[in-house]
Amino acid sequence: MAVVCQGLTKQYGHGSNTFQALRGLDLTVATGELVMLVGPSGCGKTTLVSILSAVIEPDAGECRVLGQDLIAMTPDEKTRFRRTHVGFVFQTFNLLPALSLAENVAVPLFIAGRHRRTALAAAEQLLDRVGLAGRADAKPGELSGGQQQRVAIARALVHGPSLVVCDEPTSNLDHRNGQEMMKLLRDTALAANRTVIVVTHDPRILGYADRVVHMDDGRIVTAPAPSSSERVGG
Amino acid sequence: MIRLALEMLIGDRVKALGLMLGVAFTAFLVTFAAGYFAGFMTNGFALITENSAADVWVMDPAVMSVEATINVTDAALNRVRAVPGVARAWPMLLADVEARFPNGRFQTFQLVGLDDVTLAGLPDSASPDVAARLRTPDAVVVASGGTSGKLGTPAQLRDQWPYDGAHLNVPLRPLAAGDQVLVNGLRVRVAAQARVLERFPPRPLMYTGIANARRLLPPERQRPTFVLVRARDGVSSRQLAQRIERQTGLRARPRDAFKADTVRWYLVNSEDVGDMTAMLMLAMVVGFGVAGIMLYMFSYENLRQYAVFKAMGASGRQLVGMVLAQAGGVAVLATGIGLGLCSLAGSAVAASGHPFRMLWFAPVLGAGGVLLISLTAALISVRPLLKLSPGEVFAGR
Ligand SMILES: Nc1ncnc2c1ncn2[C@@H]1O[C@H](COP(=O)(O)OP(=O)(O)OP(=O)(O)O)[C@@H](O)[C@H]1O
Ligand SMILES: [Mg+2]
Repeated sequence: MAVVCQGLTKQYGHGSNTFQALRGLDLTVATGELVMLVGPSGCGKTTLVSILSAVIEPDAGECRVLGQDLIAMTPDEKTRFRRTHVGFVFQTFNLLPALSLAENVAVPLFIAGRHRRTALAAAEQLLDRVGLAGRADAKPGELSGGQQQRVAIARALVHGPSLVVCDEPTSNLDHRNGQEMMKLLRDTALAANRTVIVVTHDPRILGYADRVVHMDDGRIVTAPAPSSSERVGG
Repeated sequence: MIRLALEMLIGDRVKALGLMLGVAFTAFLVTFAAGYFAGFMTNGFALITENSAADVWVMDPAVMSVEATINVTDAALNRVRAVPGVARAWPMLLADVEARFPNGRFQTFQLVGLDDVTLAGLPDSASPDVAARLRTPDAVVVASGGTSGKLGTPAQLRDQWPYDGAHLNVPLRPLAAGDQVLVNGLRVRVAAQARVLERFPPRPLMYTGIANARRLLPPERQRPTFVLVRARDGVSSRQLAQRIERQTGLRARPRDAFKADTVRWYLVNSEDVGDMTAMLMLAMVVGFGVAGIMLYMFSYENLRQYAVFKAMGASGRQLVGMVLAQAGGVAVLATGIGLGLCSLAGSAVAASGHPFRMLWFAPVLGAGGVLLISLTAALISVRPLLKLSPGEVFAGR
């Protein structure tokens, strides 16, 4: 199992101004699965994937990801966990405008302290795989939104993470680009030892999921067991 | 990562350029101000510089600078000569005198009475020939001392020593060899006009032998102001000064210490210098403030980009390194530009006769200050970065 969580709670704010984002949430995700998280705005989807990717901490509950106990980790261990095991795709791409595409893709390798030349070579390979061969020296500003999100996918995969977390990756893309993006994600990101979790509002891409998990009000409302899921797409 | 940081800096060309110019301007401003200040102070102790033969200056215990003086007794010279380690000692006399020009105009001069034997301290540009002429009883060498238009004597014969009162608004020409002026009602002859170090505050100067100076001055002013001392070979100025103080009860200062005393005296006692220092401080505070705020804002605006790094597992140390690299990069480049501009502007200003001196502490102040302020601003801007939740980058929040 890639993710095993039980009784997660998370509260934002303090004093009288608090908000209960997660209210005892249980979730299990199998290794090699592409799971989509859907639910109304504000139901806690981003909060959940932030916890799963060791970006924030839950207030209570248990959470094992990739066999490691996130609750027991020190901040430094979490940083190292994100650096080696997690790939991120953000809604707003978050590419660094001053850097070339290859450098953008290579950022996780730079952070891991890899040599510049090997890092850039690996980045160019991934750019090839997401269909941006020969654009390694371009700047993000020269690309369309769909192309930028491809770069973001390459960046999320370049260091070979075991977990890829995407928060609304298609919401800044039109329908066609969204479909292509999901297809690319399934084709390149998903592997036997890699789990992909996608938060989305977009019902048109649900077909690419192995399993769709519905959330509401800080809880999972329907979550068929991984074994009973029906593979679709890719 | 450092390289990425620098690329991020350069990549944001407009902002980087603005930042660079702002910080360069600060470096320029601070260095220039300090250079100007150094120039004033250097002019302030020009008399000490001029008398480089003197290792130790001996004076009344109450005298703290070369600018405000009172005279010692005539016996002081011999008492100083009696101190072991003194190779040579000679007197110098300072006094303010009013000189009257042939047309009736008057002008205050600082009279510098030099040792009759050696004429040590006579401006270098005065030729040996001038030195010889200065040995005649009523001869003086005049110098502008940083003033302009104050050494004008009537150009036409009919305006000189007229019998019908002063001829004040008449054509003038600069004093030259052979001209005459009256000092305390006594005639002196100008042996030459010399170029000397500028003074702070600027003042016309009149150099002459001490015997001639005595002739020109009222009795209570005729005693020497300083006894200048040359140390024997192998005797340190500092030790000799201490020995002279112990043995004579006079104040004795090595040359460089006396320069420092003079600067300190100006800082404490001169309202003009006080005002100047306040202005310099203001320039520095404003400059440093602007540079600091600009750097802080630069880092702050990049916060989101750093949050991306942070989410992807960059350590606090890596982030701090990046911010410092950016700040340091800006500071180094900008300081270079600023100091370059400053030395250009400085030599132009100095060439046009302003008291600008690029002493070592001016660029050090400019460069050191800018570096310090840049890194401080960067460190301050790192704080929110370290506290920043990597969650901020999710979902465009
Ligand atoms: N840092 C925060 N401080 C305070 N409240 C927060 C914070 N982050 C999230 N919240 C609140 O917690 C609730 C859940 O937020 P979350 O971002 O997880 O929802 P979401 O399901 O991702 O919503 P959306 O679909 O709009 O992205 C929201 O009501 C949000 O306002
Ligand atoms: Mg969200």
